[in-house]
Amino acid sequence: MIYNSRTLLGMLNKRVVVPRATAENLSIEGLSVAYDGPPVLHDVSLDVAAGEMVALLGPSGCGKTTLLRTIAGLERQMAGTVRLGERTLGDSYSFIPPEKRRIGMVFQDGALFPHLDVGQNVAYGLPRSERRSGRVTETLDLVGLGGLEDRRPGSLSGGQQQRVALARALAPHPGVLLLDEPFSSLDTSLRVQVRSEIHHLLLELGVTTVFVTHDQEEAFVLGDRVAVLNEGRIAQVGSPDDLYRRPVDQWVATFVGDANLLPVADASGTCDTAVGPVAVASDTDGMVGRVIGGPADLLVRPEDLRLDEGSTGTVELVEYYGHDAMVRVLLGDGSTVHARTGADVRWQRGDRVGVTYVGPGAVPLGV
Amino acid sequence: MVAVLVAAAFALPGGYVAWRVIGGTESPLALLTSPRTLSPLWRTVQLAVLVSASAAVLGTALAWVTTRTDLIGRRFWRVVVPLPLVYPSFVGAAAFISGLSPGGIVHDLAADLGFDLTMRLHGLTGAWLVLTLFTYPYVYLPVAARLASLPTAFEENARLLGDRPARVFSRVVLPQIGSSVAAGSLLVFLYTVSDFGAVHLMRFETLTQTIFRTRLFDRDRSFALALLLLVLALVVVAAERTITRAGARRGALLTSDATVGDRRALTVPLGRWAAPATGLVAGVVGLALVSPAISLADWGLFGWMRSRRGGAPLRLDWDDVLAPTWNTVWIGVTTAVIAVAVVLPVAYLTTRHRSRLGGAVNAVVVAGFAIPGLVVALSLVFWTMHASPFDFLIGSMPVLVFAYVVHFGAQAVRTAQVAVDAVPARMEDAARLLGAGRLRRLATVELPLMLPGLAAGAGLVMLSTMKELPATLLASPIGFRTLATQVWGTYEALFLPEMAILALILLAISALMTWLLVVRRSDHLR
Repeated sequence: MIYNSRTLLGMLNKRVVVPRATAENLSIEGLSVAYDGPPVLHDVSLDVAAGEMVALLGPSGCGKTTLLRTIAGLERQMAGTVRLGERTLGDSYSFIPPEKRRIGMVFQDGALFPHLDVGQNVAYGLPRSERRSGRVTETLDLVGLGGLEDRRPGSLSGGQQQRVALARALAPHPGVLLLDEPFSSLDTSLRVQVRSEIHHLLLELGVTTVFVTHDQEEAFVLGDRVAVLNEGRIAQVGSPDDLYRRPVDQWVATFVGDANLLPVADASGTCDTAVGPVAVASDTDGMVGRVIGGPADLLVRPEDLRLDEGSTGTVELVEYYGHDAMVRVLLGDGSTVHARTGADVRWQRGDRVGVTYVGPGAVPLGV
Repeated sequence: MVAVLVAAAFALPGGYVAWRVIGGTESPLALLTSPRTLSPLWRTVQLAVLVSASAAVLGTALAWVTTRTDLIGRRFWRVVVPLPLVYPSFVGAAAFISGLSPGGIVHDLAADLGFDLTMRLHGLTGAWLVLTLFTYPYVYLPVAARLASLPTAFEENARLLGDRPARVFSRVVLPQIGSSVAAGSLLVFLYTVSDFGAVHLMRFETLTQTIFRTRLFDRDRSFALALLLLVLALVVVAAERTITRAGARRGALLTSDATVGDRRALTVPLGRWAAPATGLVAGVVGLALVSPAISLADWGLFGWMRSRRGGAPLRLDWDDVLAPTWNTVWIGVTTAVIAVAVVLPVAYLTTRHRSRLGGAVNAVVVAGFAIPGLVVALSLVFWTMHASPFDFLIGSMPVLVFAYVVHFGAQAVRTAQVAVDAVPARMEDAARLLGAGRLRRLATVELPLMLPGLAAGAGLVMLSTMKELPATLLASPIGFRTLATQVWGTYEALFLPEMAILALILLAISALMTWLLVVRRSDHLR
């Protein structure tokens, strides 16, 4: 173990005094950003409540990092407004430079100053008078690295470096904390551990947080809400459950998770599909982008399908993940569907299986 | 703005030379095509081509043998082989000549054995031998560094695909190190065409000496030749650039350093070639590094013993040693600091902003290195004499430092660029978000991170400045003595023991600098 007795959770259980007063709400309106050429961000609007954690999720090149950097003031917007609490950070007329914004940011690789020790790194953003106060030790204790003040960043593990970067960003009491893929440089095993520790800490502190990720799982685990970006626009904002269960279109549906899209001629009531009858979700009232009646694709998640003895199709591929397994079934009409089964896979390639829909109702999405 | 000023300053010497020739009294074409001009030009080209070729072969061979074979004592040889770099070529030449002349160690040893070795090393052969011995490190260093950074997988694959080591070298290794060999040879070429001391001692009259000799009584010719030398240097640089760029495009994928591993490269067992290979390495090191040192030490010791035994005293008192030493060190440091300060904005422009202006300024600064120090100094000296608002500068220290900076600034450019690149943009962003303004960021983040790189660049400039002879001879204020000019003066006056003592001091300082900069840092030692 890299950090044994002094884990973050251990520190929190000792009830470190946590100041909550600094969190502010962030509001972005009609933001557009362009470098040379076509806009990278298009009329993006997003409200983040004080103390909320919002994930910006999207494929690479969708503009999520640009959005984060524009909030920080590292990029300038062409149009639109960024507000933090009562302050306007930037709009068409005014622009507050990043060093005056009171925003904390953690970069992908931490971006710790290699020539300063850990204590000096954390103290960097503090006013001169506070550098020798207890704030540095306090913040390092918060992230579970008390006592490492004199170490050089180079002598720390990746997880420790990220936590120093977090302490450095938190020390000056920022109004909002921005995280740019903060866990992507860590090994898989370490990532989950550091992630849940930081998750817990940020919840305890009640910091307004916006973070960027391309990993759907990470967005769902950490985000109170998730904003999905595609090609410079916000495709959907909602709770993780909203996105997974009630995506606005096929792109979001497939981006946030494995999806079977089953075509039907008339999406209403109970439809007949390649895997038998599927009920169309009834709670889609008021949801933009869904089709009621007429041709549509029904969104059926792999866990909504149950496999049993039968002859709906043939098992083509079994992928075992440990906690569950994914089975690809070739159906009679030549199409394939994915079904998630428990860890005790009874099927092998070539088996004939029956497929039944057992979900709560499928969302019809426009073709 | 700053960049434009820098470019203007670096372009001044070359521009002034061209302007003098074109606006001169005699027709420049007639001057340039006269046989009195063409014969030193021919000798210069001849010597430069010969030296570049032999240094390329020698440097590459030594690099390969010390990094890719089971040569005994590889690690030792890797440290020692680049060391002849510490000899300014004129010191090396003086050491050889004095060693072979009566009273010199080689001559006297041979005489004891009954040979009369009053042979004189001179002319093309002498200049070629001496310059090759003291310039091959310019090829060795980049090639050895390239070999060390080359992904080992290429060679391993070639072996697995059935090539013998020799074939692997010609088919896989050589194409990969080609650009390094070319870059090193270019440096050798430039060094040779601008060399003044060694060729003078070898009585082989190249352009630099004609320029130096005619500068007082036939100024037009002197300037015409200087322009010729300048154009020669620039043409060769441009040609090398074009060829390398074409080659880089062809082999873009293969020359990427993406897969550099920590693994050791395959070593080629030398087998029955072990003895010749060791002989080659030891021979080169003995000839280029050990023998000049012994020759100088012998002369120095002889002079000291002679004065102790009541013979003719050394024409050298403490002041003659300390003043030039002090001058050499401080002018080196001054030049280095100024050069780095001047070059840093250019490095910022080219790496951070990638502007077209930055590229142009960079080209001007780099071209400064191609202009021989003699030409730079000549131009500046005459410019200060004729440019009325600046004539208070005649024969002053700023002119000398300016000449050095123009000539050697380019050596700091590359390291300054690397230094600027070493500060990740994210580091600056992080500092900004923590509330640091421009000045605080510069002082607390950027400068500390750039310091090692800038120091390396400054060190290179300092090393070169201390070894520079012709520019110092021409542009020094009257009475300003450096070790280089004193070695030169004592040799010309045939005070060989005194020359040897001063040369040894110069060597000691420059060896220290070389060790700090080149040997200790370079990755070819891995």
